Amino acid sequence: MSRMKFYCDDYRCIDCNGCVVACKEAHEIPVGVNRRRVITINEGIEGKQKSLSVACMHCSDAPCQKVCPTDCFYIRTDGIVLHDKDKCIGCGYCLYACPFGAPQFGHEGIFGVKGVMDKCTFCAGGPDETLSENEFEHYGQNRIAEGKIPMCASMCSTKALIAGDASEVDKIYEYRTAKRGDNTSLKPYGWEAYNNGK
Amino acid sequence: MESKTFWECNKAYILTALGLGVVGFVFVGFLMIMDWGYLIQYTMHALIGDTSGVLTAPASELEQMVNAAFGPAYNSVAPEIIRASNERQEYIWYVFFAEIMIFVFLYIKNGRVTPTITRPNDTVQVLTSFQRAVIWLNIGMISILVLTGFNITWGLRSEGGDIPRILREFHELTGLAWIGVWLVFTVIAAKDMKGWRKNSTFRHFLPGSFKPSKRVIWFFYAAMGAALCFSGAMIITLHPSSLTHADVIQFRRVLLYLHFGASVLIMFFILDFVYASAVSVKGYLKGLWSGNYPREYLEQVAPDVLEDLKKAGRA
Repeated sequence: MSRMKFYCDDYRCIDCNGCVVACKEAHEIPVGVNRRRVITINEGIEGKQKSLSVACMHCSDAPCQKVCPTDCFYIRTDGIVLHDKDKCIGCGYCLYACPFGAPQFGHEGIFGVKGVMDKCTFCAGGPDETLSENEFEHYGQNRIAEGKIPMCASMCSTKALIAGDASEVDKIYEYRTAKRGDNTSLKPYGWEAYNNGK
Repeated sequence: MESKTFWECNKAYILTALGLGVVGFVFVGFLMIMDWGYLIQYTMHALIGDTSGVLTAPASELEQMVNAAFGPAYNSVAPEIIRASNERQEYIWYVFFAEIMIFVFLYIKNGRVTPTITRPNDTVQVLTSFQRAVIWLNIGMISILVLTGFNITWGLRSEGGDIPRILREFHELTGLAWIGVWLVFTVIAAKDMKGWRKNSTFRHFLPGSFKPSKRVIWFFYAAMGAALCFSGAMIITLHPSSLTHADVIQFRRVLLYLHFGASVLIMFFILDFVYASAVSVKGYLKGLWSGNYPREYLEQVAPDVLEDLKKAGRA
């Protein structure tokens, strides 16, 4: 079964924030809410500066779904994690549980209290009628329904950010690492490397 | 004069410490998944102003990236939040059941004190209108906070939507307003703080003296209230954006623990107040509303209060 995933290549990301702007523009996201962000470490140090574009990683075993007291999350058959804003009460438990800081909460009302949660939808809309005005207003564009890839990945100028079926993303990743001369079969990577290093 | 042993003087404190010690040991040892070493070290770092959660310099570029992007040490705090979410909804009933059982036991053991009143019109004003306003405001706000708090905890039953969301917002706003009420309530309830009792301020404190068992209850109500006010206000104020997320998320997770823990513990002392005012002594609740108690009531149930009021020239 296909599972839709993002992958950001930190060798290619140049911290242009094009993905962030593209996402905000496409979905008309309010000020103060960023579905995607770019993290940079060792900024200004030659040879050591690295950037990574991060949003909801659409986890297979999503912690946000586990902690939600109103059960507003659901995972589509293609692995995209979505949520129902009509059910969300804005408690913020998903924010505590998410390892990636994906859930975002804007301020609303006269007291500026925390509103309902907003996060990356993989440009797949939400539970409202597909491609309807309501769906756009609540969740932004539904590019997946139109047969397109998410806006952030489509706008990435260096193609550091890629999105799509995990097996296809994996092939691109393998091709790139092999081309760079990395022996991925010997080098642990990602969470495995992180945990081994502890 | 009869001399009391150390045990007799401090029985209430020792038993409370033992009880909380047993509950704490079971809770910490068997019911929580938490890297306690990390939490203790983190608290030390937070006290000197570093709330990021990065306790040691990252050993690799990957660890540096993880710290910057997601916040450090996810496994040390977050799993408990995840695990507790499901179990909170299922098992919190047992906590309240156990607390209520304690008061049922007290009722069976002590019964209900019913003072003999032959002169109902001979009353003494014990509570001023200011004190009553603060006490009832406290009761009202606590009731709202408990109900709206449970609205979040048992969200699966309401299945979310606009009304539970508005109730959640109301929880935050009422909580902020309660900070002031809690502070004043804590001050007026500090009955036997002799050092504070200057003539001009005495009328703000409740008359009478605490028994050690009641002093423990007041102390814990004040302490748990402080924990709730601090953690609640910080959770609302520290609202991370996507760019500040990694800096504050670990602090918010620890604050949420504090908020949950304090809210469970304060329930015991709230239930004690309900038991004391509504069940244990007949006529107490009526006086809490009017501020006046029959002189005979005070002679039989609270002679220390009457004595204090006489000293202050109010009885």
